Amino acid sequence: MAVPVTLPAGPVRPVSARHFVRLKLRVMGNNFHGQGWRVALFLVGSLVGLWFAVGAFFGLAAPGLVGDDRYALLVAAFAGGLTVLGWLLLPLVFFGVDETLDPARFALLPLSRRTLVTGLFAAALVSVPAVAVLLALSGLVVTAAVFGGWSAAFVTVVGVVCGLLLCVAAARAVTSAFATMLRSRRVRDLAAVLLAVLAALLGPLQLAGLAALEDTDWDRLVGVATVIGWTPFGAPWTAGIDVAQGRPWAAPVKLLITVVTIVALLAWWSRSLESAMVGAVGAVGGGPARARPGVTGGSVAQLFPRAVGWLHRDRFGALVAREARYWWRDVRRRANLITIAVVGLFVPVMVNFGGQGFTLDSDQSFSPAGESSPVLVSLSMLFVGLLAAVTLANQFGFDGSAYAANVVSGVPGRLELRARATAFSLYVLPLLAMVAVVIALVLGEPTWVGFMAGALVATYGAGLAVNSFVSVLGAYALPETSNPFAMNSGAGLVKGLLTILAMIVTGVLAVPMVLAAGLLGDTWVWLGLPLGVAYGVGALLLGTYLAGDVLDRRQPELLAMVTPRR
Amino acid sequence: MLPVTGATAASDSGMSCGSSFGRGGGLAGTGYGRRMTAEYPALALRGLVKSFDGKVAVTGVDLDVPAGSFYGLLGPNGAGKTTTLSMAVGLLRPTAGGAWVLGHDVWVDPVTAKQLLGAMPDGVRLFDRLSGAELLAYHGLLRGMDPAVVDRRAAELLDVLALADAGRTLVVDYSAGMRKKIGLACALLHGPRLLVLDEPFEAVDPVSAALIRDILQRYVAGGGTVVFSSHVMEVVQRLCSHVAILAGGTIKRVGTLEQVRGDRSLEEVFVEVVGGRTATGEELAWLSR
Repeated sequence: MAVPVTLPAGPVRPVSARHFVRLKLRVMGNNFHGQGWRVALFLVGSLVGLWFAVGAFFGLAAPGLVGDDRYALLVAAFAGGLTVLGWLLLPLVFFGVDETLDPARFALLPLSRRTLVTGLFAAALVSVPAVAVLLALSGLVVTAAVFGGWSAAFVTVVGVVCGLLLCVAAARAVTSAFATMLRSRRVRDLAAVLLAVLAALLGPLQLAGLAALEDTDWDRLVGVATVIGWTPFGAPWTAGIDVAQGRPWAAPVKLLITVVTIVALLAWWSRSLESAMVGAVGAVGGGPARARPGVTGGSVAQLFPRAVGWLHRDRFGALVAREARYWWRDVRRRANLITIAVVGLFVPVMVNFGGQGFTLDSDQSFSPAGESSPVLVSLSMLFVGLLAAVTLANQFGFDGSAYAANVVSGVPGRLELRARATAFSLYVLPLLAMVAVVIALVLGEPTWVGFMAGALVATYGAGLAVNSFVSVLGAYALPETSNPFAMNSGAGLVKGLLTILAMIVTGVLAVPMVLAAGLLGDTWVWLGLPLGVAYGVGALLLGTYLAGDVLDRRQPELLAMVTPRR
Repeated sequence: MLPVTGATAASDSGMSCGSSFGRGGGLAGTGYGRRMTAEYPALALRGLVKSFDGKVAVTGVDLDVPAGSFYGLLGPNGAGKTTTLSMAVGLLRPTAGGAWVLGHDVWVDPVTAKQLLGAMPDGVRLFDRLSGAELLAYHGLLRGMDPAVVDRRAAELLDVLALADAGRTLVVDYSAGMRKKIGLACALLHGPRLLVLDEPFEAVDPVSAALIRDILQRYVAGGGTVVFSSHVMEVVQRLCSHVAILAGGTIKRVGTLEQVRGDRSLEEVFVEVVGGRTATGEELAWLSR
């Protein structure tokens, strides 16, 4: 039966950002319901955030409190710029973004895109990091008030609020765009390049900063700060300082720059948001269906990738083969591999060339040329090794409820953990070898490659051991969305704290490698590799031996932890 | 060992050990189950209780599933079917009580119990970034099977379940019906003596449903035991030899299909037991305008 064009009956009450904020608070509250440890973790996380925020507040208020007008612009531009940069990059590299409100859930509701974006944006502002940043950067208001009185303070308040909006919008836009790109398999190479470029930006910036610090030429630094102040990175934070220092005409221009940037970021976000919503229908977490090349060989032969053809066709082999396939086929896992590759190369380069970043830890390399030392190199290798290992901190969370297959088959815990470590190492060990070789060549110290690789493997092995425990005891469910950066808000804090804890323990375990590099001198060049490998492998075997027992006792509990609640 | 081995179990389980199933391959009689198990029920649940954060989902379930039976577990949404079956196969630790598969305690001797058991949980993902063949190979090797046997049975299962055409398509790109079928294949691959299936007919088209029904009937005819949950009366009535109705976390009716049904239809009994209501026509008037 045909009907004339039908309009919805009755007036519809408008949906505002308030509804989204309330929804987010409700979802967060429900997550805590009856989960004492989650509340405790949230409180601890909030307190840590508050602690840092208060510290940063006084740091930023210091120029005003001390009354030294010279540093005001400097502090505002650099601290503000670093904050924006952090919001831009940290979600990509480490922590992910809070997807308590998954955009895909709103796909069926009659909401305009503008309502949706402003709503989700407002909801995103309700988070511990946002509050902490607001508190910390408010220190600038004190500084501005001391030098410029009420008008400057008022402009700074506006600037800081705009700056916070800029930070959140930047984080959302970048992760959302990135997720969309990674989902489409055709552009994943482009995405990898983009991430590389983003990470590469860190290097030059730090180099410039350190070079400037070395000269302690404040005028030049003020020059840099002035330039930063005119980019979106520094504009919102320096507007009030400009008023205080007698350049009131600059304030409206800078605020305009900020607002235009925010609007542009939101527009960008809104575009990628739409594709995220549409893409989520049909294939949850999956790419488009594609025809794959025809079948060759039996099913067992198909399961084993060529690179692991040497494995026995038994339980261990099957576990390794499946994990190896997953590290490539699962977008979330692949995003982690790309991160390791990029960060693993750039961080050592940064540390060893901008050497002074670690001068406190190294007693030898104080020369202004930024020359590296075995201790410094070992420290940077330690960082790469633990970064690689911490990827497995939630290895069962990647599987989600699919882990049930292993529980039903009764896979022994040690076998499970060792197979997972083996499969991950298939990707990571070549990567670590590449890091060691490249860094050694770049440093012009090819003989160091041995102990560098030793430090890497030792840290990596110890890290795998530590993360075996973390992954069994501290697993959490990842949301079943296609966004590789997504996580639940409760889990975000858990992940952050557990990650940091695992990294600290791993770092402590790897300290012997750094000490040996400092104390043993030339012998270490030859002993480093065999001892490091032995240390790493030994730690891994011991760790999985002990953690395997734990896993055997709590397989059903682990399954419940990684199963997303619906 | 199992505390209570009911007389019903012994009398109801005339047929037990493995005659072969399917063409040539012999999916049922694999050696795992080749032991006299007739004096034990295929699955026994005793006083199963599960509470989540103080909320009780299952409040004491006792059930004997005789070997060789086709057992339907009926219940409305939220009755505790999935919770009960998850505890029976070792996926969810019970708050109290225990489960025995052919006399082996699932929670004390999980290795033996899990070898005799094939399970298809509901609401649980498969390792769906693998193709159908890869998934079967993974499950087979995980069960410690000989690779050659895995290859032969996997090819046969894919063929019988009409999944061979999917080739190397990843399971994540399968349709809902295909996913149920590959899940069933994974549960059958190692030739278990007991199959526990959670909602095997949900979201399955009639053609696939008929195929699954056929395979399950042949499996039971070959000496296997099937327990499955459903709320589709028609399927249960057509397939099952035994029925249990679960509601509010307890068993309300249990017995052979004839005992439970009496001279009424199963649906009538079910609605009466569960205490459903029918619309009177007064409410929801705004739906018609």
